[in-house]
Amino acid sequence: MTSTTSTPLSGTGRLKQSAMSAGNTSRRRMRKDLIRSRIAAWTAVLVIGAFGLLPVYWLLATALSSPEDAFQFPPKLIPTHITFSNFTALAENDQLIKYMINSLVVASITAVLSVVVATYMGYSFSKFRYRGRRSLMHMVLASQMFPQALLLVTLYAVFSSFGLLNTYTALVLSFTTFTMPLCVWMLKGIFDTIPDALLEAASIDGASRWRTLHSIVAPLAAPGMIAAGLFAFVRGWNDFIFAVTLADKEKQTLPPGLVSTYIGEFQAAWPELMAASLVVSIPVVVAFMFLQRYLVGGMTAGSVK
Amino acid sequence: MTTSGISRRGALRMFGIGALGMAGVGALGACAPSPSNSGSASNGGDTKSKDFDFTSWSLNEEAARPAIEKIIAAWEKAEKSKVRAVSYPYNEYLSQLTLKLGGGETTGAIHLDIAWLAAVAQMGKLADLGSVAPKGGYTDVALKSGVYDGKQYGLPWNTGSIGVIANSKLLAKAGIKKHPATVEEFEDALRAIKGLGGGVVPYAAATKVAQLKDIFPWMQTFGCTLMDGEKVTIGDDASVDAVTWYKKLHDAKLIAADVDRFDARALFGQGKAAFYDDAVIGKGVTAAQSKDKTLADAMQPMMRPVLRSGDTPQALLWGGVIAIVNGKGQDAATEFALHTTSDLATTSEYFTSRALPPSTTAGLADPKVAQDTFTTEWTEKITKTATGSPFWQFAQNAQIEEAVAKQVQAVLVGKSKPKDAMRKAGEEVAALIKR
Repeated sequence: MTSTTSTPLSGTGRLKQSAMSAGNTSRRRMRKDLIRSRIAAWTAVLVIGAFGLLPVYWLLATALSSPEDAFQFPPKLIPTHITFSNFTALAENDQLIKYMINSLVVASITAVLSVVVATYMGYSFSKFRYRGRRSLMHMVLASQMFPQALLLVTLYAVFSSFGLLNTYTALVLSFTTFTMPLCVWMLKGIFDTIPDALLEAASIDGASRWRTLHSIVAPLAAPGMIAAGLFAFVRGWNDFIFAVTLADKEKQTLPPGLVSTYIGEFQAAWPELMAASLVVSIPVVVAFMFLQRYLVGGMTAGSVK
Repeated sequence: MTTSGISRRGALRMFGIGALGMAGVGALGACAPSPSNSGSASNGGDTKSKDFDFTSWSLNEEAARPAIEKIIAAWEKAEKSKVRAVSYPYNEYLSQLTLKLGGGETTGAIHLDIAWLAAVAQMGKLADLGSVAPKGGYTDVALKSGVYDGKQYGLPWNTGSIGVIANSKLLAKAGIKKHPATVEEFEDALRAIKGLGGGVVPYAAATKVAQLKDIFPWMQTFGCTLMDGEKVTIGDDASVDAVTWYKKLHDAKLIAADVDRFDARALFGQGKAAFYDDAVIGKGVTAAQSKDKTLADAMQPMMRPVLRSGDTPQALLWGGVIAIVNGKGQDAATEFALHTTSDLATTSEYFTSRALPPSTTAGLADPKVAQDTFTTEWTEKITKTATGSPFWQFAQNAQIEEAVAKQVQAVLVGKSKPKDAMRKAGEEVAALIKR
C-alpha cells in the first residue's frame, strides 16, 4: 500500500487517475445536479402544495376558532383557543341535514342520469354513421359555450310553465343540461379507443347491438363512465345559482343553504360556515379518494389513439 | 374511426347550430305560458284569500328568524290563515325577487330594503298603499322611505340610517372631550387618535369597492348633491373636494386601505379604530364580535361632521319596508304588513329581539325603545336628517355605486387624480342612467 502511493505514476496510471478524477468530478457534479433538481422539485411541490392546501388550512383554522378569534385583525394564522363548538352546532341544525340530503339526492341522480344518457349518445356518435351526426356532436359541444346564467331565466320560465319549480326534477334536469356535453364528449373519446373489430366479433358471435354495448363496451368504458359520473356529481353538488333559483327551502341544496344560514345582511358567521363547509366537503373528498384512479384513467382514456 | 377534430367549416356550423339552439330555447321560454298575466299589473289570484306568502331575507337568518316566525305564527292563529314563508339569501335577494315577481311566482307581502323599492316598484306589480299608510302612525322620515314616484309602495318596518359610530373610551384617551362637529375638527381628532400609536386606525372608513358607497354622504357634506333634477352632479368641485380630502386622510394614514364594513367592525371591536360607519344595528353586531365586554357602553352615535358650522349633517337613510304584490292574498297581506309594522306590542317585541328601531311615533315612544339611549340618540342625531340616495330610483343603482366606488379607489391608490376620476365617475353614472 505504502509503496504504491510512493511510487511515481506511469503515463497510463496518470491517465487512469485523471480519468478517475474526471469521473469523480462528473459524479459529484451529477450528485449536485440531482440535489439541486430535488430541491427545485420539492420547492415547487411545497409552493404548489401550499397554494392548494393553505385555503383548506384556513378553512380548518377558522372552523376551530371562536367568533372573537376569527374576527381578529390582522388575522392570526394559528388559532389561540381551539373550539369544537362550531361543529357541535352543526349537528343540532336539522335544516342543514335536510340541505345535505337534498344535495345527495340531486347530485346522485344528476350523475346517474348524465352517465346513462351520455353513454348512449357517446356510443352513437362514436360507432354509428348517420346524417347530421357531426352537426349534433357540435351542437352538444356548442351548448357548453354559453354562460350558464344566460339560460337561467329561460329554464326558470320553462320549469315554471310545466309546474316543475321547487322540485328535484327541475334541479336534476338543469344540472344535467350542463354536465351532459362534457360527459358525452368524454365518453365518445373512450368509445373511439375501443376497436371496431371487437364489436364485429361480438356481432359474429350473435350479440345484438344492445348486448354489445351493455355486455362488452360498457365494462371496458367503466373508468370513463365513473369519471363522467364524478364530474356530474361534483357539478350538481357545487351548484349555487340554479339551486337558489329553481328550488325553495324544502328542496334547496347545500351551497345556497349554507349561504342562507350563515351569510346575513349584517354579519357572516364565518367559523360556523367554515365548519359546515368542511363537513359537507367530506363526501366529495371520500368519493375522490376511492375513485381517483378511475377519474385519471377516464379523463385521459380518449386522449391518445 | 371518426375524427373529433373541428375544422373551420365544422366550427362555423357549430356556432350556427348553437345560435339556432339558443334561439330555440329562448323561443321556448318566451312561448312558455306564464303562470300570471305578466304583462298586467296584477299577478292574478284571489285578492280576498286569507292565505298569502311573506317573502323576507330575514327569514333565513338565525338572528332574525325566530322573531319573524313568532309574528307570523301569531297572525296565523289570530286570523286562522296560512302564511307561507319564502326566503332568499340577502345578497341574492333582489335578483331572485325580480325574477320571481316577473314570473308571477311571488305574491303577498314582500320585505324590501328601501334601496330596492324603486327597482321593484318599476315592475308595476306592487299595490299602492296610500290609503292604508295613514293608519300606521309612521314618522315622516319613515313614511318617505316607502314612497316611489309619488306613490306609497311600502309600509316602513324599520327606519334608521348609516351613520358614524364613535368609541368614547378611545376619544377620552386621546383627550377628545366632545364629538368633532366640523370636518376640520374631525381631522384634528383623527390626528390626536393617531398619536395614541399601537396601530390604531383613527377612522375605519370604507376603502374597498364593495362598501365605498359610504363616500356619498361625505360628497354631500362637501356640497355635492349627487343629482340635480335629471343631471348627475358627480364631477363637480364639491365631489372633487370630498375625494381629495378622503385621499388626504388615506395618505396621512388616518384611514386605512382595504377596509370594508366587516373589517371596520373587527377593527372597532378590538379597540383599534375610534370611528367607523355603520347602521344602528351595528352596535349589537360589533359588540358581539368583541372580546371587550364593555365596548357596547363605549359606543356612541355621532353626527357626521359638517363642512361649515350650521350645515346639515349628512346621513344615508337605511331600513326596510313591506310592500304588497297585486293579486292573490293582497288584502290579507296588506293587513298583515300594517300589523307587523305598526302594532305597538309587535314592534316593541321586535325591537327587543333585534334592536331595530320601529318606524312609528308610538313605537319610538315605547319605553323599551325610549330607554335605549343609543337608539334614541341615533334617531335624534343621525336619522333625523338622513336622506335616501337619489340613485335608488334607478334599477342600475348597484352599478352606479360600483362605478363611483371604482373611481374613488383609483384615487386612493394613486392611479387617478380626483378631478379626472370624478369627471369619469359622473360620465359613467350618466351613461348608466340613460341605459
